Amino acid sequence: MSTTSSATRPGRKGPGGLARLGPLPWIGPATLLIVLVVLWPVYEMVRTSFLKISSSGFVRGSAGTDKYKQLFEDPALPSVVVSTVMWTIVVVTTTMVISLALAQLFNQRFPGRRVTRWALIAPWAASLVMTAIGFKWMLNQTSGVLNTVMKDLGLIDGPKDWLGDPSTAWPWMMFVAVFVSLPFTTYTLLAGLQTIPTEVYEAAKVDGTNTWQTYLRITLPLLRPALLVGMVINLINVFNSFPIIWSMTRGGPDSDTATTTVFMYQLKNADIGQSAAMSVVNFALVVVMVVLFLKAARWNQEENR
Amino acid sequence: MNKRMFVAACTIGVLTLTACGGKDGGASANGEVTLKLVAADYGDKASNSSTAYWNDVAQRFTAANPKIKVDVQVINWNDIDSQVKTMIQSGNVPDVLQTGGYADKVADDLLYKADEVLSEPTRKNLIDSFAKAGEVDGTQYGIPFVSSARAFFYNKTLFAKAGITEAPRNWDELKAAAQKIKAKVPGVTPYALPLGPEEAQGESLIWELGNGGGYTDAKGGYTLDAKANVEAFSWLKTNLVGPGLTYANPATTDRKTAFADFAAGKTAMLNGHPSLIQMSKDGKVDYGVAPIPGKSGPLASTLGVADWMMAFKDGGHKEEVRKFLDFAYSKENTLKFDETYNLMPVTEDTLKEMTANGKHKDLEPFFTLLPNAVFYPLGDTTWDAVSAEIKKSGGTAVNDPAKVLGELQKKAEAAVADQ
Repeated sequence: MSTTSSATRPGRKGPGGLARLGPLPWIGPATLLIVLVVLWPVYEMVRTSFLKISSSGFVRGSAGTDKYKQLFEDPALPSVVVSTVMWTIVVVTTTMVISLALAQLFNQRFPGRRVTRWALIAPWAASLVMTAIGFKWMLNQTSGVLNTVMKDLGLIDGPKDWLGDPSTAWPWMMFVAVFVSLPFTTYTLLAGLQTIPTEVYEAAKVDGTNTWQTYLRITLPLLRPALLVGMVINLINVFNSFPIIWSMTRGGPDSDTATTTVFMYQLKNADIGQSAAMSVVNFALVVVMVVLFLKAARWNQEENR
Repeated sequence: MNKRMFVAACTIGVLTLTACGGKDGGASANGEVTLKLVAADYGDKASNSSTAYWNDVAQRFTAANPKIKVDVQVINWNDIDSQVKTMIQSGNVPDVLQTGGYADKVADDLLYKADEVLSEPTRKNLIDSFAKAGEVDGTQYGIPFVSSARAFFYNKTLFAKAGITEAPRNWDELKAAAQKIKAKVPGVTPYALPLGPEEAQGESLIWELGNGGGYTDAKGGYTLDAKANVEAFSWLKTNLVGPGLTYANPATTDRKTAFADFAAGKTAMLNGHPSLIQMSKDGKVDYGVAPIPGKSGPLASTLGVADWMMAFKDGGHKEEVRKFLDFAYSKENTLKFDETYNLMPVTEDTLKEMTANGKHKDLEPFFTLLPNAVFYPLGDTTWDAVSAEIKKSGGTAVNDPAKVLGELQKKAEAAVADQ
């Protein structure tokens, strides 16, 4: 093979075939992987959303855009979308604010820092489903430990079915979502904090800034890359968050505690095509959200310059 | 050379990734046939899993028919529907399937007719009402496998504490009993109303039947939002849910929870099926069984549930499947299965044996219910889709009966139009 390739390019010295391929051998495996595990499933997902599939799983032919029509006419969809937006905003904002404080704390020197840093990893290391099911049983009406504790502390009159009522189920699920998002976010921000050179702080001190000014004008701007990474990853994670809600309420009653991802899974039981249509919409939403967010973030950066 | 190696590596990668999709059962060169059996797991722990039962049946069958092997795959109830769907979608269709519903597969013309895969004696042996429930437009496709019927369970100890002497016969008596229990035995749920996704379709139908309602009219059209049904849910809303005589959120409470509560003595009344008998005994609950109360008197016909066996045409093993099903439906095998899981028989000989052999005193009230059982509209090819919708949102009808049932009716009509 190498003889033929050098024959076609007589003027060239040195290595033959491999060089001709350029960077392909190096990026090839990764590209192949992306095609197989990302692009192909996306293609299948979009294709399924235009198919009519019976409840037994038999493909009955093309459905055109019917599945999308059905989806957008579904009376549950508007409230599900609103819930998804609320869920994402509340969980991500709360996580970022608490993580900023936690990262600041863990950046200080104090006895037992190492142990507390380890402890922070625990909710991250535990499986999401495990954590969610743990909370589900702690909140159980008849045997949940949290119900007992709150009753003994006088916070509630009697055991409540927290997860059965959407108005109480949402706050608890958001709490669990924040709880499991904290470790990653805190560590990202902590890593960001540690990259800020001490000279900058010394210079600020010489200039006579107070603590609050230092934080606003030095720490936060220099933390922007870490903040951005944490925020984008959390946005995607929380938006797509499935295990917590599915383990705790299955999106019920009806779809009252479902985000679009959970709703997609609920639809799967009745109609795979419509469920695929929901996935496509979901996918588009994530892409749009991330693009908008990145745009907004960059725009800020340029203005600050 | 490097390029070639790279291509080779990629090809191997692709092959390994797709290799799992190409499994094909069927005849091998020496005339041996492997039947693929997919069945639901009726056990609740590893020790009584249905895998053991089916492996044993398969082994004895192959001993008698050396040319036919049976590949047994037992899947738990939560996953079986979606896994079977995937099998059908990917063309990896089982030969024999034992699960909860069959009609949607008939709509896609996937199944053998019952008379093609059952010998005459086996078919005659099926109890009539169940064989009828296996029909789609007059042709039987679904082969009943096991059955169960609903009855009203109550906790005698709690009733005594509350000063109630008799099981309630109608809705008003049920409400009065629930009020007494709430007043005298605090901490106990008077009536367990499980309208969560697990069983919304069953509990709803029982209450609707109590008011003369139901899911379909005489012609088989859906009547999910019929006046009688809306009234039944309105009664539940104002008389049980509103005053706190049942769970605070019935729409998210599953049957599992209700049964567990009953077996733990934490609930006084509920509609249960035979598996609750063993649970109650294990929980040392002194229980009573009575006919289900309707609006003005006990229900004349209760809800019957059957699980189904069906044979797929895809593999083309009609003869082998018939041999296997005839074997699986012999009295020896069905009796063993029914007795293992305390389920009700669907064959005449096993029913006779179980009523006569005196080992099933507990089940007696249920044996008498069987001939009059009412079924879901199982023979309707849209029922599976409609049932999925009822499971998802039917329970919320206790909050807003007319709106929720109206939306369900619309979805059901869309499913019928979409066939």
